[in-house]
This record gives sequence, structure tokens and C-alpha cells, in this order.
Amino acid sequence: MSVALPAEAERTYDLNFARWVYRNVNGGDKLSLCMQCGVCSGSCPIGTQMDYGPRKLFMMIRAGMKEEVLSSNTMWNCTSCYRCVVRCPRGVPVTYILQDLASKAVEFGYAKKEDNTRFSKAFWWSAKTFGRTDERLVTAKYYFSFGLVEGIRKGLGNLKIALGMIKAGRMHLGASHGVKDRKGLQAILKKAAEIEAREATES
Amino acid sequence: MSGADQKTPGGKTKFTYYPGCSSQGSGKHLDESLRAIAPKIGIELEELDDWNCCGASVGHIGGGVLPNTALTGRNLANAQKQGPQDVVTGCAACYLNTHAGNEKIKSDVKMRRRVNEALSAADLSYDEDLQVRHMCEVIVNDVGVEKIREQVTNPLTGLKVAGYVGCQTVRPFASTDGGGQYDTYEDPKFLDDFAEACGAEAVPFDPKTSCCGGSVSVMSPDRTLHLIKEILQAAKDAEADVISTPCPLCQTNVEMYQDAINKKFGTDFNIPVVFYSQLMAVAFGMDPHKDASLQRNTIRSKKMEDMGKK
Amino acid sequence: MDRKPGVYLCEGCGIAEAVSVDDLEQVASGELKVPACKRHAAFCSEEGVALIAKDIESGEVNQPIIVACSPRVMTDRFTFPDAQVIRANLREQVIWTQPPGEEDTQALAADNLRMAVAQAKNSDPPVPHGEGGASRKLLVVGGGVSGLTAAREAARMGVEVILVEKGSALGGWARKWSRTIPHRPPYRDPQPNGIGDLIAAVEADPAVTVMTGALVTRTAGGPGDFTVTLSQGGKETSERVGAIVVATGWRGYDIARHEYLGYGTSPDIVTDIEFEELLANGGIKRKSDGAVPSNLAFIIPGDSERMPYSSGVSDRVAIKQALQVIEAVPDAMVYVIYEDLRAHGTAEEFYRQGQEAGIIFQKGRVKSVAADLTVTLDDDLLGQEVPLSGLDMVVLSTGMVPNSTNVDLSPAEEGADQLADDIDPAAPVKVARGNGEDEAEAAETSGNGAAENGAAEEGGEPALPGGPILNLQYRQGPHLPILAHGFADSHFICFPYETRRSGIYTCGPVRRAMTIADSQQDAQGAVLKAIQAMRAADASTALHPRVGDLSFPEFGLDICTKCRRCTVECPFGAIDEQDDGYPVLNATRCRRCGTCMGACPVRTISFKNYSAQMVADMIKAVEVPDEFEEKPRILVFACENDAYPALDMAGINRHRISPYIRIVPVRCLGSVTMLWISTALECGYDGVMLMGCKTGDDYQCHFVKGSGIAQERMAKVGETLKSLALEEERVQVEEVSIADSGRVAELLNSFAGKIDEIGLNPFKGF
Repeated sequence: MSVALPAEAERTYDLNFARWVYRNVNGGDKLSLCMQCGVCSGSCPIGTQMDYGPRKLFMMIRAGMKEEVLSSNTMWNCTSCYRCVVRCPRGVPVTYILQDLASKAVEFGYAKKEDNTRFSKAFWWSAKTFGRTDERLVTAKYYFSFGLVEGIRKGLGNLKIALGMIKAGRMHLGASHGVKDRKGLQAILKKAAEIEAREATES
Repeated sequence: MSGADQKTPGGKTKFTYYPGCSSQGSGKHLDESLRAIAPKIGIELEELDDWNCCGASVGHIGGGVLPNTALTGRNLANAQKQGPQDVVTGCAACYLNTHAGNEKIKSDVKMRRRVNEALSAADLSYDEDLQVRHMCEVIVNDVGVEKIREQVTNPLTGLKVAGYVGCQTVRPFASTDGGGQYDTYEDPKFLDDFAEACGAEAVPFDPKTSCCGGSVSVMSPDRTLHLIKEILQAAKDAEADVISTPCPLCQTNVEMYQDAINKKFGTDFNIPVVFYSQLMAVAFGMDPHKDASLQRNTIRSKKMEDMGKK
Repeated sequence: MDRKPGVYLCEGCGIAEAVSVDDLEQVASGELKVPACKRHAAFCSEEGVALIAKDIESGEVNQPIIVACSPRVMTDRFTFPDAQVIRANLREQVIWTQPPGEEDTQALAADNLRMAVAQAKNSDPPVPHGEGGASRKLLVVGGGVSGLTAAREAARMGVEVILVEKGSALGGWARKWSRTIPHRPPYRDPQPNGIGDLIAAVEADPAVTVMTGALVTRTAGGPGDFTVTLSQGGKETSERVGAIVVATGWRGYDIARHEYLGYGTSPDIVTDIEFEELLANGGIKRKSDGAVPSNLAFIIPGDSERMPYSSGVSDRVAIKQALQVIEAVPDAMVYVIYEDLRAHGTAEEFYRQGQEAGIIFQKGRVKSVAADLTVTLDDDLLGQEVPLSGLDMVVLSTGMVPNSTNVDLSPAEEGADQLADDIDPAAPVKVARGNGEDEAEAAETSGNGAAENGAAEEGGEPALPGGPILNLQYRQGPHLPILAHGFADSHFICFPYETRRSGIYTCGPVRRAMTIADSQQDAQGAVLKAIQAMRAADASTALHPRVGDLSFPEFGLDICTKCRRCTVECPFGAIDEQDDGYPVLNATRCRRCGTCMGACPVRTISFKNYSAQMVADMIKAVEVPDEFEEKPRILVFACENDAYPALDMAGINRHRISPYIRIVPVRCLGSVTMLWISTALECGYDGVMLMGCKTGDDYQCHFVKGSGIAQERMAKVGETLKSLALEEERVQVEEVSIADSGRVAELLNSFAGKIDEIGLNPFKGF
């Protein structure tokens, strides 16, 4: 849980949003080093499919465009290839910033019900429940998050792949794998969330 | 660069081995082949006890920064119990998250305090400074390519290999001190060196560090199939017999979407995608099934299987 | 003194392999009848130098003509105290640009030898013009950071200083301020400007006489011997000084003229100058209600009109002020809105400091600042208009307008046109038409070209407000010449402190917008130049760029027509007119470029070792083949400062150059007289090229205006050529820089090609 977003002001552009990102987004403190060269956007494998490339998104943050930034699909298209991170001449951790912006978008209800949101929720569900990722269950949960009919359609679309994987012994069919100490793991995650929440209210 | 080499009586270097979730599913053949070749190259792998998920590239979204780091903290706390030896993983995402989390915890007192507070909920704590390393970096820096060459009894002569490194195996740590300075981000050579040490021919392959779409390919392949297509096309243009990769997600993405790509783009790709460790297992003359796990590739490499039968 | 030439033919560096030295010896001894002619395998060796020295000591030779490498190299070896050394360039400009053993190569070598001998025949050793006794006292005008630093540095070097400050106290702008842009590692934090200590040090220095509330009302003379009249409290005193440093600084740019920035519409829209005073006085407070602002925007507008007065300075000032805000009000939101952020050199560190401290740098073109402080920007990076509202203070970057005049004085009638002419970059070069017919013609055709045509600018507005700072009693007017945007004329890269008034050096923001640290460095440089000028005046030698030159122009008044071309065209105002109209040289002001010589229609101005006759004889010394040989000859006048070295570099880089080219080095294109062009064409040369430095307000000419004046003169040569039924293209002027070694070869070769197309000079053989 994060520090609350600045309240919606009556103006279009929220000057406090930039400062909020600088202070509360993982890697956001380095955002001020951005010199808008665009190497990140140019290096991005699917930047063309984003609403805004990272460069522009950062500029929008500075301009205080909270709504547009948090509801953009930019973060959801990041493949975490880290090309922008190693190429940024100013050492801005672009990928990390996008990842945490995605997290904040979910937290504050900006994320649209897009495929990726569902996937990350399914993924975290598996990690949280079993301590490990069960690819089969994550995929199934992801598909069925669209509803039963859509889930079956999507699942059938990939049936051939699934069958191939089963045949090669790469899709597990029995009970889920998991850590032995599930209780301990869940307690850790619960505690971590509590710490974040406590810190958010303290600051 | 290893922090604490633990030599076993057999003269092997001991590592705490973190297989990662894919080892139980799509990346089984990486895990199996790594475990097979390890003793040959002087490495003993001791599995990390009760390891959990690293968080991968989407964990933070569902969880948040601290819970995600706490996942890494739990693994490290368990590793610490097993001894001071370095932690090694073959999975790119596990390496990225665990290495990054470890470096963050080690350098940021506040972060360590917060993680330990969370770990205390399960009576765990992580107080030491372990090293988290990638298997490829260990092979480059500790084992050495020469050692691989020495172990080759069944050289893969005539096998053309396109070395597809992908992203997270080298980015963003390959050229950092913490990451062992083992290769470059833009033009890494180690995968080609591995292939050539095995007696194969490493073909020139431009998209060696291109992105396969990562988890976006899993979620929404429509957005990323063109990325995979370019990788396959380059391999085909280079007349590669197989694509070799260190990354389980790359392996799966590039392999399993070939049908879909052929349908979408009217191509006819059918290129096997194997792990470098499978190449090594075959080249070391080991069992093509039990050790090299060649049967786990959905696109099988007949050439490699034939070589394995010798 | 009898001229005793001796030719020394060097065989080294491959010369003997590429050309026949026997044949050259034959030219020297046989054809040219030079009594002494010697050869050596390498004259630059100990043995070779000794050989020449021995001939000089024995009295056999006093004009050693060394036929070897370029005159630009081995100057330390080939300097002999009692002799006039003449050099013929056989290495860089013959054997390194021509194929060895060819007839044309041999002809080029022989012609270079012939020209050197002709040069010797017209050359005498210069005699110093003065006898010492120059003043070593320095006048510093302006008591701000630059002036104080100049006074302090000069005093430290043992020079007596008079420091004149117009205002009632020393310290200028800096006295009202506290911290400045960092200029010491790690270049991260604003640092104290140190003005208090500087004022105290100057006031305590016994070598410095401080005069506040004082003005310079009159300046006459030249380096080493200026007579200045100082006025303080209605009392005038006269002082003799050797050099002058002008550090009159700047005044604020009037930002209100850009209405869209909203200055004046709200008390909380302030200039950076006003904000600097707020910072120094310990309180960042809004003027409207005294509240501490928490959302500030610093705006660096991108106007091209403002830019010359602020570039690189106001950007750093904005970063500094923003950092100071964050330091004083940690929770403040601070935006720096810029179109272009000029933070060069170590300022990059400062910029990073700003970023790391949390300044939000926002790139955008500001469209308006409303009275409610809403700033609207047009953002190229976002591709949309962004209104930023909720600000409670807006700080506007202004600029530093140079005090190149004294705005407290009313514009001087006399001299206003001087500035008008200077300031217009489209007409940076003034060429006198002289009297009589020429002048009538000038009045007819242009109306604004001639020097004395009066009105400053259309509408009668003066070019710059105010009166002259030094009130120079010079033929060319009372002002220090200015360049674009009203800054004092100076060459910003090569010779930044030189003005066009010898012995007078500008420093600090009167020269260009600069920071306190830059101004201090600038003042140190200007003081060193001023001390050099006083020493040079004492030794009768020239200043930059002909440092050490003892020659100076002499005027044969017996045939002078009082046309005044020389007095108007001298780039340095060195020549005044006597009451009777004849020119009179102020030798210590003279830079020895020869522009007067090039201007003189009756060729009565000459140097002991450089004259119209000398070069004309060199031109004639070249053997021009007759029309049946079909081998053209092209004459090149190459400026010694950039063009000649570039030609040497062409040789060093082994660029092939047409063998028909003959190169005469000249001091400046300004010294090229029309006589030389006509002589060349009469002698049968097929083309003439002038190679000199870049002109205009970004000039590279080492004599500032010489190259431009030459271009103006040559613009009229076409008419003359036409009247002779010759093609205009036979005479060309090219601007080259010292780095143009490849280009000079291309220029020459394509010119040779063009001459080939046009055909040979029909006057050949007449």
C-alpha cells in the first residue's frame, strides 16, 4: 500500500503528481534525471503499441497528467527486457518505474480490466497461495477471469500448445506444487503488506 | 567473483541451487540438463530448501514492492541456513529478481530492516551477504569455457547454432560488478562460445538480445508474435539447425508460438529451440533423454537426437 | 644600408630528389646574379645554421634568402640578429604538392626563388618608431566584479591602477547579492560570491586609486600614452595611462517588452534579478501578501531576441535560484520551464544537482503567463498545450544588456553613426569613397555606405542609447566599436579581449553575457593583454597578431591626395587626420596589417619590409609562359594568418595542387592593393585569387575588418575587368579557415579548371 495520491484538484494538470511520483514510485527519485533523449522509447521492443512511450510518459508525469499516466497502457506493455535500463544515459531505472506505476495503477483503481492486470492478479494469487507459480493454474485462472465462455474459447485456442506441453512433460497435471511452509510464506507476505500500509499512513 | 567457494571433497564447487517455478513445468528440460552437466564441469548443486517463487516480472503488480522483495528475502533466509556458498539459478527471471532483491537488501539498511520485519512473521531472517549468480556467469567466470571443451566427447560437428541470449540473462546485470562483469548487454559472446566449445558452429545472429515479448507474450501473444517472428526469421536466414537459449521463458515463447506465427504471417518455421545445457549434455556424451531431456522439446531436433544416439 | 642578399639552397627533406638544385643555383647565380649562393644537405642542422651565421658575421650577407621549408617552420633556427631573413617555400608548397622531377615542378620552385629574391630587393630592416617611455599605469573603467578583479590582478603584478566607478560605491550588481553559480569542484552547490572580500582588498591596495562617482570624459593618444580626463564631483583631472580596461558591465534586459510573459500584471511575477535580491535579503516571499511560496516556476523563455543577452547564464541562474528555493523551502514544488537549457561544461554537474534535488525541468515554449500565474506552454515533447496552474510565484529569466555606452549620457551627435554602422551585421564593413568624384558617386548610389553621410539609422533613432564611455578623440569616433547586439567588438574564440582600439581591452559582461566566475577570469585575461600592450608600446613593437613586429606604415605625404581612405578604413582607428587633412599615424595603435596600404590609391603608404612596390616586383619576377605554351599562371594572395598555413597543411597532407599556381603571402587581404591585380593581369597571369579569413559579425579576420574591406574592394573589380574586355571570373575572393587544408587544394584546382575553360589571358605577351 502506498502513500495516498494527491487529491484531485480543480485543474487539468496536477502539479503535485510529479512530486508524488518522485517520492513514492520505486525508482521515481531518479526520474528527475531524465533528459528526454528518447533512447528508452527508441529501444523498446513494443513501444509502438504503447499509448505513450516511456519518454513521453515521463514528460507527462512532469506535466502532472495524473489521469492519463495512470490509466495508460504503457506499463502493461512493458516486457521487462531492460534494454532501456542499460541504455539510459542518465541511469534512470525505466523498467522499474514502469513496473511500480503499474502496481500503483492497480492500487488506485486506474488499471483497466485489461488482459495483463488479470494475468498479474492470477500470478500473484498462485505465488501467494502456493508460494510457487503453477503455470497451468495461472493460465487457467487468467483465462477464466474473462468469464466461462471466453475462458473456454481462449483455452481451446491454445489447446494445441497445451497438448504439446503435456506430451513433452512440461505441463503438470496433478495437485499443485507449492512450498512446504505455506503458512509461513503467507504470514511474511501479510506482514510485508502491513508494513507498507503503516509506512504510507506515517508519511 | 564467487563470494564463498565451498569445495566439496570431490573437488567440486558447491552452490545453493534455486531451480525456480519453471523447473516444474515449461522449463523442466533446463533444470534436468543443468543438474546433469553440473558434476561434469566441477559444480555441485544443492537445492535450495523449500524455495518459493521469485515474483518474476509481474509479481510486483499484484503484490507491491515490499511483499515482492520479501519473497526474495525468504529464499535468501533459507539459503543462509544452508551455508555461505553462492546461490545460483539457471532461470533468467529468478536471477533478475533474486539478484536485484539481494543487492537492494545488502546495500539498503532500511530495506533489510523492513524485509527482516516481514520475515520475522515466519521466524526467519536474512543477515548475511550472500551472492546470487546466474549459471551462465558461473560457467564463464568460475568454470571457464576451456573446461567445457575438455569434457566434450561427442562434438556437435556440423550443428549450426543461433545463440539467442534474450534479455534478463544479461540485462541489467551482466556488465555490473555485482553481476560478475561477464559479458556485454548489446553483443554478448558467451552463448556462442559455449556452442563452439561443444564443437558446434555458432552462426551470426543479430537479434541475439532481442526481446521475445516475455510475459506479455504469455498474456497477449497478439502483441508480440512479430517479435518472435523476427527472431525465427533471422535464425532461418542464418540456416541455423537449432536456436540455443539460456532462458526458460524465451525457450517456451520462441518454441510454442511457431504454429501461431506460421498461421498469422504465412511462414513455415519449425526450428527447434534448445537450452545451452542440452547442447552440453549431448556434447558430453550423456544420455539424450535422461540428461539432455531432448524429448521435452515440442519441436524436436532430429540432428541433435541423431548426434545423441552415437 | 646596402642590401647584401645570399641564396641558401637546401637539399634536405627530399627537395634535391624532387627538383634540380643545380638548375635553381643557375637561376640564383646566373639569371638573378645573386653574389652569394650556397647549398647544404640540411640548412636547419647545426652545420647549416652555422654556415649562414658565418656569412652574416663576415659581412658578406645581410639578407639570407633561405630556399627550404615554409616560413612558418624553423623560425627559431633561422633567426639571425643582424640580418633580414627571407624565406622561399620549396617544401610544403612545392615538393609536397607536386610530382617530383616534372618540368612544371621545377618551374614552380624557380619562381618561388625568383619571388624571394625580388622580395629581398625591396626589403629593408624595420626601424622602431618610438624611443620607449611608455606609461605603465592602467585605467580600469567600472567597479563591479570584472573591474575590481582587473584592478586587483594588475596591482598584484606591480602595475599602478586608477579604478573609475560611475556609481557611488564599488561592487556593482554582486554587492546586492549573496551566492553565485559554482565554479569550483564539485560544481554542485551555489557558493558565496566573495564580493565583500574583493572590495576590501581593492580598497586596501596602495597601488589602486579608487574614484567613485567618476566618469572618463575624454581619452586621447594611444597605447603607452593615453591622456585621459577624469571627472569626479564636477572636478576634472588629467592622467597619463598606458592601457585601459573597460569593465562597464551590464544592465537588466527589459522583459516587459515580451507582453506574453505577463510581467507587471501580478506582483508575484518577478524577474530573476529581483528574485536574486530576495534571496540575498534572506526571504523568499511573495510581494503580494508576504507569504512563502510553495509552487514556483522559473521560466527561461526561448526568445531569440533575448537569447544573446542571456545565453548560458540565465539558465544557470534559474537552476541556482531554484536550488536555493528547495534549500529554504524543502516542500516547495519548483519547476524550471525552458525551451533550451544551456548548461554547458561544468554546469552539467550543476544541472544534475538540480535534478537530484528535485527541480522539475519542463521543456516547453511558454505561450502565456496569466495574471493568476497560470503558465501555458506549448510542449513539443508532449505535442500539446499544457496549462500549469496553482503556481504562487513566477520568476522570469531576463538577460544582461551590455553597457557598451553610458546610458546616463545623452547620445552624442558625433559618433552615433559609427555605432549604427558597427551594429548592423548586414553592413559590417565600412569602405571610404574618399573625396572628389568618388564621394559624389557614393552619395548617389548608396546614401548609407560612406562614413560621413550622417544619420544614424532610419528615423533618426540612435543605434544605442547613451553617450561614449571613453569619449575617444579618434578620427573614427568617440565610441568603442561594437558588434552584433551591441556587445563590444571582440573575437570570442581567438582573441577575446582585443577591441578595435589598441591598448583598450574589454572584459566581463560588456563583451558577452557571463557569470561572476567567467567575468573574473575574463578580467584576468584582459589585464594580461593590457600589460602586454604597455610593454609593446614601450618597445615600439606590434600587438596581436603581429606581436614583436617593428615595422609600421610610413606615409609619403608629397603625393598624398588627402583622400582619407586610410583614416577611415584602418580597422583600429590608428590613423587620424591633421588639421590640414593629411593623415597622421598613432604608431602604438597600429597593428601593422597594411589595410591603409591597400586603401591608398596613390600607393604612398608602405612599410620598410612590405610595400606595394615589393609585391608588384614579386608578381613580375614570375616567368609567365607565352600563349603558345598553353600553361596558365594563377596568382594567389594568401593571408598569412589562416590561408597560408592552410596551404602549408595541404602540402603536409600531400594534396595535389595545380602546378600553375603562384602564391604570395600577404599580411591581411586588407593590404591587397588594386595595383597588384592590374599588374598581374598586365603581366599575363590568367587568374587571381584572394584567400583570406571569414568576414561578417562572426569574422575570423585577425585584423577584424581587413578581409571584409578587401571583399568590398574586389566587388568593384569586375567593372574594371569588363572595361578591359576580361572576364569577371578571373578574379576571385575565397574565405578559408586554418583547418581548410583539403578545401584550399580543391578551391585552387577548380579555379585552375575554370581558367582553363575561360581560356588564357589575351594580354599575355603584351
